[in-house]
Amino acid sequence: MASKEKWEKVLYKKQNVPDNYVDDSFLRELKKNSNLRRYDYWTTVSQSGSVTQQISSVCIFLMIFIYMDEKQLLPETLFYTTTILTVISYGIYCWLKLPAVENKRTSYDDIKTGVMFLCFLYGLSPVIVSLTETISTDTIYAMTFIMLLTNIVFYDYSPDDIQVARVKGTLSLNAATFASVCLASRLNTTWHAFAIVTFSFEWFALWPLFTQLLKVLYPASQNILTVLLGVTSLILLSTWTTVATIVFLIVHLFINFFCPFWLIRLLPYKNNIKGQWDEAEIQD
Amino acid sequence: MKTSKKKHSICMISDFFFPNMGGVESHIYQLSQCLLELGHKVIVVTHMYGKKRRGIRYLSNDLKVYYLPFPPFYNQCILPTVYVTFPLLRNIFIREEITIVHGHSSFSTLAHEGMLHARTMGIPTVFTDHSLFGFADASSIVTNEILRFSLGDCTHVICVSHTSKENTVLRAQIKPENVSVIPNAVDATMFTPDPSQRTPNKITIVLVSRLVYRKGIDLLAGIIPKITQKYPDVQFLIGGSGPKELILEEVREQYQLHDRVQLRGALEHSKVRDVLVQGDILLNTSLTEAFCIAIVEAACCGLKVVSTNVGGVPEVLPPDLIRLADPSVNALVEALEESIKEIKDGVNVIPPDEIHDRIRKLYTWQNVAKRTEIVYNQISDKNTKNFKQRVQTYNEFGIVAGIVYVLAIAINYLLFMILEWLFPRQEIEKAESCHNHVRKRH
Repeated sequence: MASKEKWEKVLYKKQNVPDNYVDDSFLRELKKNSNLRRYDYWTTVSQSGSVTQQISSVCIFLMIFIYMDEKQLLPETLFYTTTILTVISYGIYCWLKLPAVENKRTSYDDIKTGVMFLCFLYGLSPVIVSLTETISTDTIYAMTFIMLLTNIVFYDYSPDDIQVARVKGTLSLNAATFASVCLASRLNTTWHAFAIVTFSFEWFALWPLFTQLLKVLYPASQNILTVLLGVTSLILLSTWTTVATIVFLIVHLFINFFCPFWLIRLLPYKNNIKGQWDEAEIQD
Repeated sequence: MKTSKKKHSICMISDFFFPNMGGVESHIYQLSQCLLELGHKVIVVTHMYGKKRRGIRYLSNDLKVYYLPFPPFYNQCILPTVYVTFPLLRNIFIREEITIVHGHSSFSTLAHEGMLHARTMGIPTVFTDHSLFGFADASSIVTNEILRFSLGDCTHVICVSHTSKENTVLRAQIKPENVSVIPNAVDATMFTPDPSQRTPNKITIVLVSRLVYRKGIDLLAGIIPKITQKYPDVQFLIGGSGPKELILEEVREQYQLHDRVQLRGALEHSKVRDVLVQGDILLNTSLTEAFCIAIVEAACCGLKVVSTNVGGVPEVLPPDLIRLADPSVNALVEALEESIKEIKDGVNVIPPDEIHDRIRKLYTWQNVAKRTEIVYNQISDKNTKNFKQRVQTYNEFGIVAGIVYVLAIAINYLLFMILEWLFPRQEIEKAESCHNHVRKRH
């Protein structure tokens, strides 16, 4: 079979080769690991802080609940402290945000939503406190565990993004709210329920908005936040149980330092192939 | 060429067949008809359709179809049980004296199972792959693993385009020499041009496909406003239905294009031609396509074709009949504008009848059948792998997968021996073929 004409990868020409002919150009268009990113160890360590921050947040939330359950923390104290802190953070948020992005929402809108939300919650807290009262405590704790796990798994960890309005973020927030409502029924008074649900909203909905803005404007704040949240939750945990503290510490070190190392070690084994057959991505 | 006179008994096996309509279904039907014409014996095996269509039916030219009593389970495929189909299929293979089993479509459970049993019985197998697959997501990883098992000792594989061949070779990790490229074909008598149906003084852009994400309907939604705003004499005609119909309706609403964007809804295959001939340009916005029969059908009706450059599309039509563009709104709009300009200026306009003639000679089912016949002749000369060789092949597939695969074929073999003992071969009555009668009489 003298190759008089060069073989072409087309079907509309009758080429003098059998149908199972394999040309030299076979699979030449195959691309391997076309968009491979090399990671720098310390950058990865810093970025993985987002995960441990969220775990710390969940831990702090649970410790607050335990303190209230054991009557070491009065709901009034929790409510007033967190509300004042939220108002201060909101002030800083507005001040930082003004030059950064334009938004149709005014402060008036925000305050109106906030006040309305608090009033409704206050009115509904007698319902919330008795809502899951008949369900056994074990079930409540199991549900809380699953919901907080969902919160950690589906939290939107993508960096440098101010918009949190994504499906993932919504699911995560819903899970946290559900957990807080579950836990509220294990507390004694309506004040308790009101305080813990309010706190969960401030902690899981508003606080991430604030930290995300900080991270965009001052990337260095990421590491400070990781350490700050980590140490706070560590101290809170250590007042309650030693075993959990040690496990918490090990998990943190594993996620923050070992996993990035692992990722970088495994990167050479990545084998991602792309070619003409792949579903095209719409470019624009 | 003494081998070409060899007559085969072919069993086409797939979950997809008439009364279902689609690319694979018509491929099996047309190929079977042409193979019958070439003097081979062909039967089709598929699962039952509805409650009534089960048992044996005959289609035109006495094409015998077995509708096996396995109900469809998911996406028109039967429940994958691996072994349950064996007794019945063995019976059919023996009754019909099958010499080649030809499976179709990598989605079809029945095809994979039938081929597995055929190999256990020592019958050579051919497999035609009709689709492209990625490698990255979970569903393709699972499907590719199944395909690797199924094609591991398949005697020969047929793909519909060179791109599809590369894809299949990578997915199933088979030797490229064992893969033939035989393109699909078009029934040219069904797709004849009729320029009188076109709207005079207007240019109509046609798109006929299921309205789903994979067909790039999001691109179409971006193209419509841009083209209609720039050219007041251009209209769109869209056939098909699907989840993305909504966004097209939205675009039509938003830009007030009710008189210029017609949505025809789902079309029967026989009505496709009537819609195609009303257009001047066919637009194909698919994001992935192994062969793309739609553009061949359109060209056969004499239309200009504008398409995304994906999958096997660039292999299908010669460059003077198609204009390719990257899968982006701007690139497609640009390509459409060039085509519109050509029509308006009367440059590069090939008469529809001439295009029809060229396509008619290019992709015929007779040609597909002849090329498939060559594959059949080749593999019937080869010895099929015996049990020991098959075990060796599968053992090389990795530690875990290898053991699972070897176990799977070993059980299959055991089952085969039990069946041979329970229902001996000699006691199965051979089916009389009506074709034999006809041929004997002549």
